[in-house]
Amino acid sequence: MLKIAAGFVAGIAVTGAAAWTMAGGLMFNERVSPFGVEETVARIQHNIQATGNGWTLSGLRNPARAVQTDGGNTLPVLMVEACSTTYSKPILNDDSVRYLSILMPCKISVYKKNDGKVYIGTMNAGLMGKMFGPLVGDVMGKVAEDQQKFLVMDPTKPAPPLIVPKAGGEGAGGGGGGGGGC
Amino acid sequence: MREKHTRGALLGLLAGALALTVHLSWSANDPAPAPAAAPAKAAEGGKAAPQPGSVQLRAARTTADHSKFKELQQDFKSGPEVTKACLSCHTEAAKQVHKTKHWTWEFLNPDNGQKLGKKHVINNFCTAVPSNYAFCTACHVGYGWKDANYDFKSETNVDCLVCHDTTGDYKKLPGLAGHPAYKQMEFPPKSGRQVPAVDLQEVAQKVGATSRATCGACHFLGGGGDAVKHGDLDTSLKNPKRYLDVHMDANGLNFSCGTCHATKGHNIPGSRYTPTGKDDGGTHMRGKVDESNPATCQSCHGGKPHKGKQNGMITDKLNEHTEKIACQTCHIPQYARGNKPTKMSWDWSTAGKLKDGKPFTVKDSAGHESYATIKGNFTYESDVVPDYMWLNGKVKYTLLGDPVNPNGVTEINHYYGSAEDGKSRIWPVKIFRGKQPYDLETKSLLVPHTAAEYGVKDDAAFWQNFKWDAALKAGAEAAGQPFGGKFDFVKTEMTWPITHMVAPKEDALTCTQCHSRSGRLQKVEGIYMPGRDGKPWLDWIGWLAALGTLAGVIFHGGLRIYLANRKAG
Repeated sequence: MLKIAAGFVAGIAVTGAAAWTMAGGLMFNERVSPFGVEETVARIQHNIQATGNGWTLSGLRNPARAVQTDGGNTLPVLMVEACSTTYSKPILNDDSVRYLSILMPCKISVYKKNDGKVYIGTMNAGLMGKMFGPLVGDVMGKVAEDQQKFLVMDPTKPAPPLIVPKAGGEGAGGGGGGGGGC
Repeated sequence: MREKHTRGALLGLLAGALALTVHLSWSANDPAPAPAAAPAKAAEGGKAAPQPGSVQLRAARTTADHSKFKELQQDFKSGPEVTKACLSCHTEAAKQVHKTKHWTWEFLNPDNGQKLGKKHVINNFCTAVPSNYAFCTACHVGYGWKDANYDFKSETNVDCLVCHDTTGDYKKLPGLAGHPAYKQMEFPPKSGRQVPAVDLQEVAQKVGATSRATCGACHFLGGGGDAVKHGDLDTSLKNPKRYLDVHMDANGLNFSCGTCHATKGHNIPGSRYTPTGKDDGGTHMRGKVDESNPATCQSCHGGKPHKGKQNGMITDKLNEHTEKIACQTCHIPQYARGNKPTKMSWDWSTAGKLKDGKPFTVKDSAGHESYATIKGNFTYESDVVPDYMWLNGKVKYTLLGDPVNPNGVTEINHYYGSAEDGKSRIWPVKIFRGKQPYDLETKSLLVPHTAAEYGVKDDAAFWQNFKWDAALKAGAEAAGQPFGGKFDFVKTEMTWPITHMVAPKEDALTCTQCHSRSGRLQKVEGIYMPGRDGKPWLDWIGWLAALGTLAGVIFHGGLRIYLANRKAG
């Protein structure tokens, strides 16, 4: 009996340790972009618009600008925000998972690192969705599929123009705003 | 027994997963925390009180109101007329200017005898001055330089206003051979945009000390546009915030260019033709004769710039770094940080394409030209992580007539330096990559005749007819170079040491940004860097020693516990 209990406790410990070390890496993805920051963002924006399924651009944030305003430096970061009411509506209509509105709108971050390369950071929507029951799992699975389409970088296509939201931002982070979506 | 263990482990895994889910759900249901008090922020754009030594205070100490001088109360018709009036008081000024590189556009490199200066070098931006005088000399501190026969002895040809204007209204337009617009004119030609005539009397009566704006009128716009050439100089430095440059911060120290490039007799120190790779001279002191470059960091901060008693060891280590590392390497983490992307490449070989018989432009995602019929293809980048190299201040240029490397990359300029020579430091640099014409017979670079004088129809000018043959022939003639008629394009690189846009000290590079295998200095040779360099066999010995020590401790401790238990039992 003691050995069963010890095995049980050891199992919990191993699971906890594995979850602790791997969870962060599993929840988010990062990949190198072959293009500069602005062009990567522009290509993602145009991919989002071409994906259909109700996706619209809802903002473009520049958190690096806020750091500059406070007198500091950070490498460029631009966050593309997109939303689809097709996917947001069922979640927003279910009180038990409504708190997941904090994940809206869907964000894709494009940033430069100290190696001079440009990276794309995304949330692993498919995996995260599975943690919140069948409804969310199903919706987030579809979001994950669309997300892959957002990230297609076809160098044979010319660089599209960056889409800068016309509406004013909400302040912190700078350059946010724009309408549409959620 | 094993089955029991496995069952237990499986139960544990399930329980763990359950616990994780419950934890996340609980987290999700947590009541929202009260919002933190917003930190107090200074209103953007709000002006701070001027710091001691700032430009505002220096301006307040000016003793002359030039608007009261009769010599300047004239209806000036041209720049030289203004200069004549200036020289009636400042009798030696033009003679001083005549001796400077800003006037001669010439510099004899004492190290190798190369004739440098804008008059002689060729770069991989707009290339070279010969045949393009009237256009390029918009950035000459003189009037009327439109061909090779310019009168460099004329005192009234010196342009005082371009450096001493305080109104911001004095602009020398390309194509006017160094003159501003004396009457309203369409500029650029056929653009429909009108440039008003400059009010010379107003500008002359409001002259003052040089400023970031006056120096920047040329140095911020080098290479054909804002931020194009240098990477660390652009119009964002006209009124910079602290994050961009701690010295030039408009609400802080508010340095002008001349604060560091302290001028003597109109000669401005600090040059890329003779950069100071390593300044061991220490701080400049008043009263002490010191002919060394006053524009180095050390001339103010000294050779041991890092202070602080709390972390003495770190301070000492940082000061040790200054022996091998230029201040700029750590304190300019990126260049082109002012939201003005700098040009990183320029491919002349694609220039000349027409759409429906007309020149055209293509813009990149950020709205900058990525193609222009008159210039070819470009790439831009902002917040650029620099390249790094040893630099001892010696430089050699590839000049007209020098051989190029048709099968590889030709260095427009080569900066010397090494870890061993005792005169070098590791510097951040911008490497600008180009593709430009060269003569297939002489195997040397060619000057394209691109721009004509304003309003002049010129069939040989590339920007008018887009014909390489004619443009290169005219350029070669003006430069006194042979041209066999056959040409191609060669890859070139030009190196620009980075020294402006100094970030606040808290934004300097951290240790691991260099001390790691893929760190910023991974390509710098000749130096051992912990964290970057290592010998596998030495690492193995280290690991074995560590593991051996651990094993010894465990064995020793275990043995003592065992023996103690045995004794007690």
